[in-house]
Amino acid sequence: MGKTKWMAALGITTMLFGSLLAGCGGGEKSEKANGGSKQGEKVEVTLAGWGGNPSEQKLLRQTLDDFEKKHPNIKVKYEVIADQYMDVIKTRLAGGQGPDVFYLDAFEAPALIETGALEPLDKYVTDDFDINDFEKPMLDAFKGKDGKIYGFPKDYSTLALFYNKKMFEEAGVEVPKTWDELREAAKKLTKGKQVYGFGVAPELARLYYIAESKGGKVVTDNKASFADPKVVEALQPIVDMHLKDKSAAQPNEVGATWGGEMFGQGKAAMVIEGNWAIPFLQDTFPNLEFGTAEVPMINGKKATMAYTVAYVMNKDSKKKEAAWELISYLTGKEGMKTWTSKGYALPTRKSVAAELGFDKDPLRAPLVAGASYATVWQNGTNLPIIVNNFNNQFVSAFLGERPLADALKEAEKTANREIESK
Amino acid sequence: MKQAFTKKMKRETGTAYLFLSPTLFVLLLFIIGPIVFAIFLAFHKVQLLGTMSFKFVGLDNFVRMIDDTRAKIALWNTLKYVAIVVPCQTMLALVLAAALNAGLKGEKFFRIVYFLPTLTSSAVLTLIFMWMYNQNGLINRVLESVGLPTYNWIGDPDVALNAIMIMNIWATAPYFMVIYLAALQDIPDSLYEAAELDGANAWQKFWHITVPYLRPVTSFVVIMGLIGTFQLFDQSYIFSAGSGGPNNSTLTVVLLIYQYAFKTLGTMGYAAALAVALAIIILIATLLQRKLSKEESLY
Repeated sequence: MGKTKWMAALGITTMLFGSLLAGCGGGEKSEKANGGSKQGEKVEVTLAGWGGNPSEQKLLRQTLDDFEKKHPNIKVKYEVIADQYMDVIKTRLAGGQGPDVFYLDAFEAPALIETGALEPLDKYVTDDFDINDFEKPMLDAFKGKDGKIYGFPKDYSTLALFYNKKMFEEAGVEVPKTWDELREAAKKLTKGKQVYGFGVAPELARLYYIAESKGGKVVTDNKASFADPKVVEALQPIVDMHLKDKSAAQPNEVGATWGGEMFGQGKAAMVIEGNWAIPFLQDTFPNLEFGTAEVPMINGKKATMAYTVAYVMNKDSKKKEAAWELISYLTGKEGMKTWTSKGYALPTRKSVAAELGFDKDPLRAPLVAGASYATVWQNGTNLPIIVNNFNNQFVSAFLGERPLADALKEAEKTANREIESK
Repeated sequence: MKQAFTKKMKRETGTAYLFLSPTLFVLLLFIIGPIVFAIFLAFHKVQLLGTMSFKFVGLDNFVRMIDDTRAKIALWNTLKYVAIVVPCQTMLALVLAAALNAGLKGEKFFRIVYFLPTLTSSAVLTLIFMWMYNQNGLINRVLESVGLPTYNWIGDPDVALNAIMIMNIWATAPYFMVIYLAALQDIPDSLYEAAELDGANAWQKFWHITVPYLRPVTSFVVIMGLIGTFQLFDQSYIFSAGSGGPNNSTLTVVLLIYQYAFKTLGTMGYAAALAVALAIIILIATLLQRKLSKEESLY
C-alpha cells in the first residue's frame, strides 16, 4: 500500500517536472536545429529593427525579398521592435536570445562595442564590397577603439531648416542664411501665442552643433564639459529667443509632440528637422507649402547634425556567414539603392547617392549638402549619461527657472559624478 | 507505538513535499531565486552584455546613493507622491463607497460607472490622459471656459507630477471603493438604529459608526496604497517618454532603477541596490502604518 502511494507520487512529480523542463528547453532545441547550416538546408537569419512608416516598411520588405531571391538558401525573419528598441535589444543580448543582425544607432554604438557583444566585420569584407565608397564620418562612427569596424551604416539623415512658404511671404522675410537673420525673421513671423517664428527641440541631440559653434566642447575625454562659458554663450540665444523675444517655443508648449507636427499644424514658421520630416509632412499635411534650406550659418561657418544607423552582427550568432551575406547585401550598392530609392533615408554610399541624384532634389539637396560638414551624433561611451543630465537642466533654463550658466554647471557636475562612480 | 507514529509522520511529510515539489520548484525558480539574485547583484558591479562579469564591491553601490543627486530627487518625488495620493484616494474611496451604500436610486449603475477606470490598463489610461492634458486638450478647454487658468500639464516641471497624481487618484480610488463597499455591507443595521434612537444625525453616524468600524479595512487600503504608490512607474514613464523629465519632475525611484538597469550599460548592480533600498523603505512605511493604526487583527 505504502509503496504504491510512493510510486504514484513519484510518477506524478516526474511527469510535472518533465513537462516543465520540456517547456524550458524547447526553444533551445529548435534553435539548434535551425542553426546547423548544412549544405542545401535553409538557414533562417533574424533581423531586428524599429518600425518606421508603412512606406518604409514596404521598401525594406522589397529589399529583403530581392535578397532572398538571390540567396535561396537563406530566409530572413524580420522582427519589428516597436517601442524602447535599445532596451529590448540589450535585454535580449544579455539573455543570449539576441537577433543575428540588428539596427544600431551611432549614438549607442561606442558603449555597445565596448561590451564585446558585437562581431567585428573586417574579416568578412571582400574587395567588391568596396568599403571606400562609404561616407567616411558615417563609417567611422561604427569603428571600435581597436580600429575594427563593427557595423556598416545603412543610411543617415542630416538636419535642415524647414520653412513655411506662405508665412514667409505674408511676413515679407527672406530665408535666413545666418543665425542672426533667423532670430530677426523669427520675431517677424511670430503672432502672439498662435504662431511662433521658430520651433525648438531643447535637447542635446539637436543642439550639439550649436553648442560647439563658439569653440567650446560638450564632451572632453569622455566626460561632460558643457558648462564651458563658450558653450553657454553659444546656447544663450536659443534661451533668449524663448524668454526675451518670445519668438521660439518647444512643441509641447503648443500641444504638439515634435517639431514636424508643430510645423505642419502651422504653429511654427520654421523648424530645424531631418529627412524624416519630408515624407511625414507630405503625407499628413498635403496642403502645406514648405521649403528646406541649409541650417543657417553660425559665426560664418556651416554646421549641422548627422544621425546614422548601421546593421551590426551579434557576436553570439550561430549563423554568422548567412548574417554577413545579409548585411553585405543590405549595405551593398544594390540593396542600398532599393532601400533609399524613395528618399526616406539618404544613402551612405557615395556612388548610390550620385546615382539616385538626391543632391538635385529641391527638398533634399540641403540635407545632402549637410553631409560634408555635419557633426555625427556620437561621442564616446558616456554620452547617454551626459545627454540625460544636459536635457534635464537645459529645459529648466529654457523655461526660465534659472540662468543657463547655473543650470549647465549643475548638470555637468551631476553627469560627471555619475560617470565617475560608474 | 511512538516510533511508528513518527515513522508514519515522516512518510506523510515526505509525500506531502513530493506533491508540493512542482510548486516549490516554480516558486524557487521564479520568485525566491530572483529575489536572492537581486540581493546578490546589489553587492556586485555587474556587466551583463558581451563578456559577463561580476565583481564583488561590498557596500559601494549603497554608498553611491548618498552622493546621487538624481536618486535624492527621485526619492523626494516618490515621497511627495505617496504623501498626497494615499490619503486622497483613501478618502475618496470611502466617500464614494458611503454614497453608493446609502440606498440611492440607480445605485448599481453608478457602481459600475465608478468602477470602470480600474478596468482600463494604466498604460492606456495614461495615453488617454496625456491627450486630455494636451495644451489645447479637453482639460484646458474646460478650465478656460469656466475662467480658470490653464496649464502646460505635460511640459511644465511644476505641474507634471501633480497631473500624474490627479490621474492616479481618479484611477485607483474606485478599486478601493469596492473593498469599502464590501465592508460597509457588514456593519450591522442595529448600530445605526440605536444611534438614530439616540438622536444622531447622518454625519455623526458616519463619523462614529462607519469610520471606526471600517478601521481594519482602512488599514488594508492604506497599506496596499502605500505599496502601489511607492512603485509608481508606468504613468511617469509614459508621461516623460522614459526620461523622468521635464527637469526630473516626474522621476520616481522605480523609473530611476529602470534607467540604471537598462539605459546605461554596466550599472545593473547599482540598480539592484536601489531596488533593495526601495523594498526596505516600503517595508518601513508599512510597519509604521501598522504601528500607527494599532490594527493587528487583520494580519
